[in-house]
Amino acid sequence: MTLHRHALCTIFATTLAMATSAAAEGSLALFANGEALATEGFVAPELTRDGWELRFEHIFVTLAGVSALQTDPPYDAETGGTPAATITVAFEDAAQMTIDLTDTDADGRVLLGTVAAPEGHYNAVTWSVVPAQSGDWAGQSMVLIGTATRDGQSVDFTLTSSDRHDYICGEYVGEARKGFVTGGAEADLELTFHLDHVFGRLDRGDADQMNIGAVGFDAFAAGGVQQIVLAGLHIGHVGEGHCAVNYR
Amino acid sequence: MLSTIVKPLIVALLLAGPAAAHGAFVDVEKLDAVGIQARYDTGAAMAGAQVAVFAPDNPAQPWLTGMTDADGRFVFAPDDRPGRWAVQVRQAGHGAIGYLEIGADGVASAFIAPATAAGLTWTQRALMIASVLWGCIGTALYFRPTRRIRQA
Repeated sequence: MTLHRHALCTIFATTLAMATSAAAEGSLALFANGEALATEGFVAPELTRDGWELRFEHIFVTLAGVSALQTDPPYDAETGGTPAATITVAFEDAAQMTIDLTDTDADGRVLLGTVAAPEGHYNAVTWSVVPAQSGDWAGQSMVLIGTATRDGQSVDFTLTSSDRHDYICGEYVGEARKGFVTGGAEADLELTFHLDHVFGRLDRGDADQMNIGAVGFDAFAAGGVQQIVLAGLHIGHVGEGHCAVNYR
Repeated sequence: MLSTIVKPLIVALLLAGPAAAHGAFVDVEKLDAVGIQARYDTGAAMAGAQVAVFAPDNPAQPWLTGMTDADGRFVFAPDDRPGRWAVQVRQAGHGAIGYLEIGADGVASAFIAPATAAGLTWTQRALMIASVLWGCIGTALYFRPTRRIRQA
């Protein structure tokens, strides 16, 4: 009888432990997006800072080293440095992945992957934009293909960049806080590419700090395949939150 | 017959509502408050920016929402829940989040002050931290301890 009790207790404890263990893990989905500027383009009033309308066929981005982190204390992207990660989950099986920011789901997002993740708040993300190792655009980290129009003149363009950017981002900032994984449930996070940091926005005015740094499109008005230097433009964000960036 | 009496009575009671009161009261108490100041990396204040404050025990839902003043300042008085409070400030596609740790003893310390991009000087950082500390201590003056005031 006592033995039976012990056995029952052991089974109960094991079941409880398994249930507790299962409850301690959920899943985390990671998306990328280029906002409406990627899917709908730069259309009035949101033309480029020099007045071009841009529509994109493809915006290829090659990513590597994508991970979500729980950090304590929260990572301060303004200070930079190494995040104090307590838990890290990685989002890629392969060494790198190439996505197209114009090929999105109904919410304008590209799913990078979903992974099992321990419970907690994933309040930091690390990732790199790297030159593709293979494919049509091998050697390029970002390729923007589309059509630009101004004053009745249209040009087809392909802008390529081989720059490597390494991002360490703090908490996602947006309409809602994200990244809270609870047992058995799915949370999500986003990498956000701010294309207006590249081309600027006419509706923001010349004095806007973003427009001062933006390249605009005049330099590419000849169309065709041209190189674009993206270093220093702070394209990568987490929603509206900023990241520490290292360009190589 | 009953209806002709009851209906006007109900209408009169409904209309009476607040007007039936004969006075208003303001209870004023001293609180420990937290102040934040949000600015762009240019140094310009984030005036009129959206603010959301998140309490430690429900970090996904705002505990309080509001707006910064013309200087990018926002003051709030957290309750006695210890843990990590978060303050998110957003405006026109820019945003930042700051954190405040409140211990069981009610003492607060700031981790990260809201700012929206890289390039802040140490002077700016010191100013922001000072702003938070000012909020913890100095805002008590804002909520002066006073007696109950009655307005008849």
